Amino acid sequence: MSFQPTAIVGIGQTHHTPRRRDVSFPGLIREAAVRALDDAQMTWSDIDAVVLGKAPDLFEGVMKPELYMSDALGATGKPMFRVHTAGSVGGTTGIVASHHVQAGVHTRVMAVAFEKQSEGNAQFALGSGRGASLGAGGAFAPFIRSYINRSGAPEHIGWQVAVKDRQNALKNEYAHLKIADISIEKVRESPMMWEPIRYLESCPSSDGACAVIFTDEDGGNAAASDGRQPAWVLGTAVRSEPGSFPGRDAVRPQGAIDCAWDLYGQVGITNPREQIDMAELYVPFSWFEPIWLEGHDIAEVGEGWKMVDSGETEIGGAFPVNCSGGVLSSNPIGASGLLRFAEAALQVRGMAGEHQVDGANVALGQAYGANMQYFAMWIVANSLDPFG
Amino acid sequence: MPRLVEHRIQFPYKRSLGPVFGAFMTALVERKILGIRNGNKVLAPPLEWDPQTGEELAPDFVEVGPAGTVTNWTWVPEPTEQHPLDRSFAFACIQLDGAHNSMIHAVDAGTMDAMSAGMRVAPRWRAERIGKINDIECFVPGEDPEIPEGDTGEAPEEPVTMMEYFASITYRNPVSENAERAGAAGKEKRLLGQQCPVCARIYAGGRGYCPIDAVELTPEHDVDLPQRGVVSNYTIVTPVQYPGQTETEAFARVMIRLDGVDVVLGYQGLIDVPVAEIHPGIRVAAMWASEAEREDDGGRSMISGLVGWIPTGEPDDTSPDLLNKVL
Amino acid sequence: MRNDTDIAIVSWATTPMVRQTGNTETQLLLHAITDALEPVGLTRADVDFTCAGSCDYISGATFSFVGNLDAIGAWPPKRDSHVEMDGAWAMYEAWLRLHHGDIEIAVVTGSGRSSTANPALIYPMEMDPYYLAPLGVDPLTFAALQARALIDAGKITERDMAEVAVRSRRDAKSNPHAQVTGNFDVDKLLEEDYVRAPLRRHDLPPITDGACAVVLATARRAEQLRERPAWITGLEHRTECHNPALRELTDSPSTRIAAEAAGIGDGPIDLAELQAAFTHEELLLREVLGLDDSVPVNQSGGALAANPIMATGLVRISEAARHIVEGDKQRTLAHSTSGPCLQQNLVCILEGDS
Repeated sequence: MSFQPTAIVGIGQTHHTPRRRDVSFPGLIREAAVRALDDAQMTWSDIDAVVLGKAPDLFEGVMKPELYMSDALGATGKPMFRVHTAGSVGGTTGIVASHHVQAGVHTRVMAVAFEKQSEGNAQFALGSGRGASLGAGGAFAPFIRSYINRSGAPEHIGWQVAVKDRQNALKNEYAHLKIADISIEKVRESPMMWEPIRYLESCPSSDGACAVIFTDEDGGNAAASDGRQPAWVLGTAVRSEPGSFPGRDAVRPQGAIDCAWDLYGQVGITNPREQIDMAELYVPFSWFEPIWLEGHDIAEVGEGWKMVDSGETEIGGAFPVNCSGGVLSSNPIGASGLLRFAEAALQVRGMAGEHQVDGANVALGQAYGANMQYFAMWIVANSLDPFG
Repeated sequence: MPRLVEHRIQFPYKRSLGPVFGAFMTALVERKILGIRNGNKVLAPPLEWDPQTGEELAPDFVEVGPAGTVTNWTWVPEPTEQHPLDRSFAFACIQLDGAHNSMIHAVDAGTMDAMSAGMRVAPRWRAERIGKINDIECFVPGEDPEIPEGDTGEAPEEPVTMMEYFASITYRNPVSENAERAGAAGKEKRLLGQQCPVCARIYAGGRGYCPIDAVELTPEHDVDLPQRGVVSNYTIVTPVQYPGQTETEAFARVMIRLDGVDVVLGYQGLIDVPVAEIHPGIRVAAMWASEAEREDDGGRSMISGLVGWIPTGEPDDTSPDLLNKVL
Repeated sequence: MRNDTDIAIVSWATTPMVRQTGNTETQLLLHAITDALEPVGLTRADVDFTCAGSCDYISGATFSFVGNLDAIGAWPPKRDSHVEMDGAWAMYEAWLRLHHGDIEIAVVTGSGRSSTANPALIYPMEMDPYYLAPLGVDPLTFAALQARALIDAGKITERDMAEVAVRSRRDAKSNPHAQVTGNFDVDKLLEEDYVRAPLRRHDLPPITDGACAVVLATARRAEQLRERPAWITGLEHRTECHNPALRELTDSPSTRIAAEAAGIGDGPIDLAELQAAFTHEELLLREVLGLDDSVPVNQSGGALAANPIMATGLVRISEAARHIVEGDKQRTLAHSTSGPCLQQNLVCILEGDS
């Protein structure tokens, strides 16, 4: 059996908030899963296999939580799989779930990813419990400073991304941070957290979950003929590279480039900026928007910030990015990657509500992890042959 | 045998309970044990879902027990620090009266001979109940719960919605030979590096392998690295307070590009430079701990004994691409 | 003849299995991967996909798998993934990926150093965080409860269990990587005190540090690399509800469903490697899988001879593959498990060309 066309027919997410104190751990995850089942017009018994993703187990202090979550996710008697690829894990979760269908092994598969950050402390967990943890912002600040230096980008680019994503979040009912009076001034005057990263250029810590249901070509066609637009998974790609060695370019990692071109090749994309209608990129700190626009060759090297500056990445722009508000607005870490992938799928299904991009036929979802060294990407479209 | 270095991962996790676990925990404060109806059966302790199908269960609670029957058991001769009792006890599957399944808890039976399948047990209630499974200290043989004198089993003022879980695991990690050698070099105030025989890249400290060629690096690949360099990039961290945090004030970590070799040391300490004055280009030299100051981190930093980097006072390096030397 | 998209195990390697290693997990993997590629004349550059299985709470560090990338030689960057599961499940992910047909060679690994902390303190953290973790219910307790359930049901006896221990450690003498080997006497073993009744020391696995790497290839390459590749004709895994108190512990339905889906009934099984870390688990799994006394089980000594957590299941698969590749068996079965009382089970069926 080789590659089988695969469709997304169900998507669910929780409202992402700093603390979901009203729900248990499994309660939070089931909320997203049940919404995905409802969207797909399925029940638990329709699902053949479950793939769970989350960031390090130290976040919640539950080791290998796929074991505890098995019956909570209706997986009794079914395969239950757990992936973990650092920050890219949510993306990998979607990809591995889609591979179950693409490989012809299962017909209906659920990907679920979550983080309940309020149960623990991210800095603690990222530092393996030791003191003086750098956290993600502390670790990434030098790379961002290097990008700014190399590209000659003016400092307002970071503020502008933050304002755009926060404004987009106002249109997304599930987003965590909603700052109605967000402005360049407000971002500029927010506290410096990890120079050059300011507080309002940083992602929050969220509780939240996301679930995506995949099915085969027949299932996708059935949904379509029932008036429920599926998102077709046209391609998936992952790459990893060592985190540090002399000669590594961490600002434009080779893995990011290779991952993108592997993906574009599968889909038949030669000009990503023209052929992709919108993207959900993993941007936990504002500067990562131009970094990844360049890292994935959507923009020329040194030109990514100009796409931001010209407003091209706004919802009404030529290449909208993070219309959902992105990681900057909601960050249940383990789910953040799957949310990118799911938001891309919502767009091509025409189900993104107020943050819908007109004419989004082909969308890119991306996530990265660890020392900017793990990459997961997919392209979804509203037909199997969007360029035909 | 390798030398071992201890590290503890310890954290007081705070769990929100949600409607079903919360109701169970709240009832424990009142000395009641709840199950939940699942069809014509009672599941105790309650779950939010049917464990066979995943279907949601309506919050239709039923009081069960407090006594029950042991269906299975084992004997713990030496309890761990996490166990509910500090003396020999049994872990048992206990089917509480009215429940259709067993629950696992401790039984304080004194001796293993006192345990048997079919025996009757009842809870020993803790005096200070906070809404946690441990409010039942354990079960005891017999039909009658043990209740602290004067305990009226009053309901809590507010429903229980949260519980704490204190995780603590001590790890003893072996120090690798490469880390030991890097540490020994540090004692002599030498900065050890290793050069890959295949690609000739140099790695600082006792890394032990080249990630590009995936070959092991051994003593024959050791090289001494220059102890002077330039701050190429930096980060300033505003510390978040968490259990185990050692920092209270903003602190900096700098990238050091060593002189004359293609090596950048990541996230190093910078000495005697106020955080506000850190900038790329500062020329620095390695500063080593004295014998008395040396802290053994088991080679985790790859260069133990290196306190950090101190400015030499020479004019700054003004190379334009310095900032790009991040790795 | 095989189909282009059929997938086989062509090579494997394990590190020495020891009570405590001075090597880092990355070093263990470095050796295992090199040693697995070398017999089939491959280098890391030939590898299209890698997937690792390991666990942060075993390693005692967040993102512990990230450093292990250094052992893969992921430069140029590689298609790569990681599961917080035994390496057997890493193989499952690689197997799914190879189905796409666009790549040919994958390396999967499992690695763990169980020696660095007390398993009795780590493992309660994988249990129900509300009802079980706060009681510190540990792996020995769960194993003992399952063993007693089997004994009380009249399915096994403590003597049966001791016989498994004796046979495993005797067979392990011929396994150069085994950690606990030797000749033991059943009667003498049964005189010993319980460690956790009804379990005695001989019913328990050792604490082991180690790693394993397995090389997979699609048909075209597999046939070039080995005269007799171990074809993966069935690979399935299933889970059960989590809390052992809600399960019938005298059965392992997830193993049965996985085995049936993997096609266990399509022919005789000549040999099995079961991830039975406790003696009674072998007896239960044998029954569930329908393996009678004529089927050799765990000739390597199994997990009772060496139990490198996060690699133990993958080692079982490599042992089952060995017998196909070396030509002495035609159809073998490997099993891996995770969670309390065999909660989650994977079954792999391997066949040689006849």
